Amino acid sequence: MKYFPVGLIVCAGVVSIAAAPQPASSNTSAQQILAANCSMCHGQAHMSNLDVRDRNSLLKGGIRGPAIIPGKSADSLLFHAVKRDGELKMPPSGKPLSAADVETIRKWIDSGAPWSATAAPVQEATWWSFKKPVRPAVPAVKDSSWVKNPIDAFVLARLEKEGLRPSPEENRRTLIRRASFDLLGLPPDPKEVDVFVKDDSPDAWEKLVDRYLASPRYGERWGRYWLDLVRYADTSGFETDHFFPNAWRYRDYVIDSFSKDKPYTTFVQEQIAADEIWPDNLELEGGIHLPAKKQEDVTRRIGTGMYTVGSFPIEFTYYGDQWRAEWESDATDVTGAAFMGLTVGCARCHDHKFDPIKQKDYYSLSAFFAGSEEREIPIVSQFDILTYTRSMPLIAQAEAMKHMLRGGGRGRRAAGGANAGGANAGGANAGGGGDATARGAADPQGEAPAARTPGAMTPERAAMFQKLGELYARLPDHYPTANVLAHSEFMPETHILGKGDFKSVGAKVEPAFPSFLNPGPSIEEPKSGPFVPQRRKALALWLTSPDNPLLSRVMVNRIWQGHFGEGIVRTPNDFGRQGDPPTHPELLDWLATEFASRGYSIKQMHKLIMMSNTYRESSVANPDGLKKDPENFLLSRMNRQRLNADEVRDTMLDVSGNLNLKMGGMGIIVPLTKEEIQAARMPNLWPPNPDPREYNRRTIYLQMKRSMTLPMLQTFDSPDTALSCPRRDTSTVAPQALTLMNSEFSVAQADKFADLVLKESGNDPEAQVNDAWHRAFGRMPKDDEKKLALDYLSRNSLPRLCLLIFNMNEFIYVD
Amino acid sequence: MSTNPFPYSDRPDPAELKNASRRRFLRQSGLGIGWLAAMDLFNSDLTRSMAAEVALVNPLAPKKPPMPATAKSVISLFMQGGPSHVDTYDPKPMLAKLNGQHPPESFGDVDFQDSKFRESVILGSRRTFKKYGESGIEVSDLFPHTSKCVDDLAVIRSVYHEGFTHSQAQFLMNNGWPRIGRPSMGSWVLYGLGSENANMPGFVVLLQGGVRTGPAVYGQGFLPAVYQGTSLRNGPSPILNLNRPAGMSKDEQRDMLDTLGKLNEEHLEERNSNSELAARMASYELAFRMQMAAPEATDLSKESDATKKLYGLDHPNPKTASFGGRCLLARRLVERGVRFVQVWSGDGMNETDWDGHKHCDQNHLDRALETDIGVAALMTDLKARGLLDSTLVTWGGEFGRSPTCDGGGNGAGDSSGRDHNPYGFTVWVAGGGVKGGKVIGTTDELGLRAAEDPVHLHDLHASLLAFLGLDHTKLTYRYLGRDFRLTDVGGKTDLVTKLKA
Repeated sequence: MKYFPVGLIVCAGVVSIAAAPQPASSNTSAQQILAANCSMCHGQAHMSNLDVRDRNSLLKGGIRGPAIIPGKSADSLLFHAVKRDGELKMPPSGKPLSAADVETIRKWIDSGAPWSATAAPVQEATWWSFKKPVRPAVPAVKDSSWVKNPIDAFVLARLEKEGLRPSPEENRRTLIRRASFDLLGLPPDPKEVDVFVKDDSPDAWEKLVDRYLASPRYGERWGRYWLDLVRYADTSGFETDHFFPNAWRYRDYVIDSFSKDKPYTTFVQEQIAADEIWPDNLELEGGIHLPAKKQEDVTRRIGTGMYTVGSFPIEFTYYGDQWRAEWESDATDVTGAAFMGLTVGCARCHDHKFDPIKQKDYYSLSAFFAGSEEREIPIVSQFDILTYTRSMPLIAQAEAMKHMLRGGGRGRRAAGGANAGGANAGGANAGGGGDATARGAADPQGEAPAARTPGAMTPERAAMFQKLGELYARLPDHYPTANVLAHSEFMPETHILGKGDFKSVGAKVEPAFPSFLNPGPSIEEPKSGPFVPQRRKALALWLTSPDNPLLSRVMVNRIWQGHFGEGIVRTPNDFGRQGDPPTHPELLDWLATEFASRGYSIKQMHKLIMMSNTYRESSVANPDGLKKDPENFLLSRMNRQRLNADEVRDTMLDVSGNLNLKMGGMGIIVPLTKEEIQAARMPNLWPPNPDPREYNRRTIYLQMKRSMTLPMLQTFDSPDTALSCPRRDTSTVAPQALTLMNSEFSVAQADKFADLVLKESGNDPEAQVNDAWHRAFGRMPKDDEKKLALDYLSRNSLPRLCLLIFNMNEFIYVD
Repeated sequence: MSTNPFPYSDRPDPAELKNASRRRFLRQSGLGIGWLAAMDLFNSDLTRSMAAEVALVNPLAPKKPPMPATAKSVISLFMQGGPSHVDTYDPKPMLAKLNGQHPPESFGDVDFQDSKFRESVILGSRRTFKKYGESGIEVSDLFPHTSKCVDDLAVIRSVYHEGFTHSQAQFLMNNGWPRIGRPSMGSWVLYGLGSENANMPGFVVLLQGGVRTGPAVYGQGFLPAVYQGTSLRNGPSPILNLNRPAGMSKDEQRDMLDTLGKLNEEHLEERNSNSELAARMASYELAFRMQMAAPEATDLSKESDATKKLYGLDHPNPKTASFGGRCLLARRLVERGVRFVQVWSGDGMNETDWDGHKHCDQNHLDRALETDIGVAALMTDLKARGLLDSTLVTWGGEFGRSPTCDGGGNGAGDSSGRDHNPYGFTVWVAGGGVKGGKVIGTTDELGLRAAEDPVHLHDLHASLLAFLGLDHTKLTYRYLGRDFRLTDVGGKTDLVTKLKA
């Protein structure tokens, strides 16, 4: 199996992943050499504005001037570039052209650079990721005893080729810790560690992996990854930072999808087009309960909520067209990044500079979302809705009273939810309160006189509060709703927008799959009769069809990255020309085809990876591997990984026995410290939950506000949710140290941790140290460590020792 | 090692690629000298070779600017909300003449945030303008103190951009892009030049209160976190979590860090690919030093009484004293080698920042009272200390304000507000090689649009970078397959010659 750009070269004893051009035979023409070696970048992609596919373009050249001057090879940039004797050396990476090919180019230029128009047109080499993966043969290896499954064969074959050996298997305590963080995002239960270490049965490891995969914590850990990928947040960002009251339903849908091991193709289809593919959710009439089938389809449709949680500049989209352009563009970008692993966003304003994505492709892709819009829908039966709507007069009355009691201030925003709108508007009349309050309600400036401020309690107001309370007691809860995609009344045309500006309307385009990717069938839309839009359905089915070369590759690479810290392609959202080439192209394709043949089961892929010996390698490098391959491209060891922001917080809560494992529901707002709240523009937009038990929920259940990230999470590189985040940064900066050493959160958890240790181990310092180590690291302290800890404890309190433990490298690095 | 100061701006070659992930880590760790100190602890060949590498790639080490530079550091005075140019630095007598009338048709129409130009009535300025200094630049009576420094200012009256809401415009003026996700100018400068002070953040933001766009406006965007702006406050706890936990003495913390260091060493000994572990240990030492350096830098009490008075620290209006304190702090930080300091006026709420939608004149009187003393003091003090030559000072908001009444107002009472106007407004720059006492560009007769010598915000950014010795087309960072820069795909630098002449 030949992969175009990827070869392995060894220079100065160091392994490097780089491009290796296809060799050209001795009698190839200059045209063929250019086609084989240069056209990938200087063809349709026009890198540096150069196109080598015809003579005129070569004469014109690119940003550096003409590429050839016929008859004068010595003055021709192209010749010096391929000869590599000047500043510019081409191809930029990998194997240079052979001397014979360089000579062919020289002779060709010197003879006037003739161009054969009759020769078959230069076929542009297709980029590796745009070709369908073909299942490669599993390679033979010398040491077949190390091979547990085909993954090991691919990895070992490469290592052997370099004369490298894999690292030995990691010890059990480290392995369970690795597995637990990989699948659950939490440290292993210390008692479970001891059981696993002592379990002699041959399938002890497999049982552990199965148990973790079945844990509800698994969906939270991998759901978090997916939410990063689709730029999830609970507010719109920008100045208004509008609250999305139902975003959490999509978050719970994602967690549930991972927990249930929903086939990846189904997961993708639901998010793009559940309403079109499983349409039995549009009319929710029915009796007391929703029929099971409808309930299921409604749940699927919540997946389309993915397109309703992007960052959105509500305050500067005054025009319908602008609103639509912004929304469609967000939808297109996130679709390209998350499902296709391509940076299509560049093509919003111009043809992609490096990948063959034309501006037309971009708008053709965005046309799939034309005619779709966000809608808040009930997700219960008509009966439940009726129960609520029957109470509308009472609701209106309550709203009006609330309005007056507030002093009739102009509401800055709707409270969110369907119950905010109409009731408020009729308020002033329906309530019919005293004169003063009626005037208050009408005051457009909302400058409430002192008598009406909440502080001043008159008998009138007290009576009104009483009445409001009684009214509340009679009100039903608002019925549950979800924000999903629906269809607009008409299908707007899609046009190419010059530089992405909604005012600069260019040629009309129809929905179409990108031309560079096996474009598939054209989209047929009924010209007459009742029109049910099917655009997103067509997109979803095409993306998930076996003909799409990217879907499986991109997803197995993400799963791989979740275990090894780096993907086989280390630019997980860019499988295009600017991305890194795969380190193990055959392995990537083997996994991609395996994923398909296993029904796109993500959990099976986890298990396959974790059952390999490659996964169980020690993270301690063998000296050869470290020297030849310091970046560990070839996996002669496991990569050590730092916990991400969520894991740091969750692990501290867990170790100190505080983690509240309640799942799902509206996002939690935890209180900010006095210092932290100074950074918030309007502290009243950060209203902490009333129930303090909720503050210790897993981080995935905290509300994510785009205008302000919880400072602790931000310090540990949580994503900014502007765009898809395929891999979290792992920076090391001093504010992280300050956070773990000094923050109120850290100190509070250390105190709880100490309470736990004290309760378990009593006042014996040695028992305390043993217990603290066991809880934090799943192991007993070594003698030296115990000595240091006891020494420290002789001068300091137990909570201080616990605080120190939170700061240890072992606490936030996983081997 | 590449001599390119921005080794990530070019297409990766194999030599780059092979060290990519280690570099990625190193770029993200802002460790400076602390790192090298930590490396001394571990006496192995590997760590020694890495220490050498760190010395080369430490992201915050001061870098020699690639082009000749006249400025070393920047103080940006950011007037949140958008000060009205026609009431401050850009006199428009025509407005008084047409006060209360609809604008002449010849001016066409534009959209503001809440109003349309044509449908609104002209609002004449209630300020009086006078010529100041040798240069005779006209400044309104809002700024009795700053007007005395006018010979040091280059007043650019023709800045413009396309964003007429606060969030768009604040992002544009600070990040060169109208939405979240791009690095702020301070981050770019830090990325390009590093910082002279290893124990302090290199890009510091001094806020009055909230920011309309949220912290992303001084964020590092897609650059490594080490380049982010750090919000510093006056007083004993200038950085979040800088103070030790209640009840822990400095010695106790040292004890904890020493034990922590030894335990981490035990952990490190068994592991050989350990650069990130060692870096993390060094980050604790940096944090410890920061705990001492930052309060020292922010402690204004050591300043002379004359200086305190100059900056208005004794002013009866607490906001005047507070803004003056931030200006003084900015000078202290620049003195200590901090690369980029941004001082904010306004807390992000309409009536308490420069967003004069209702009663623009009263709003601006209040803001001017709060800021004029501090701004003038900073200019005077920098000059007296010889710091103005190497410090580029900029003043402006996210946009200017409309020549017309906001929201259908008639010019009376609370109906005398001005709407947002990004189509032409004033920014002034001073110091750092800028020759003061001049006016650049004009707006039209109503102050509606930039007229002569228009300066797009990308041009402004490109020119400011040039004063620091940075070529805006080369200060790039590769992200998601593209080379990004502060000036996106725009930016002209012809302004530089005008500012220097």
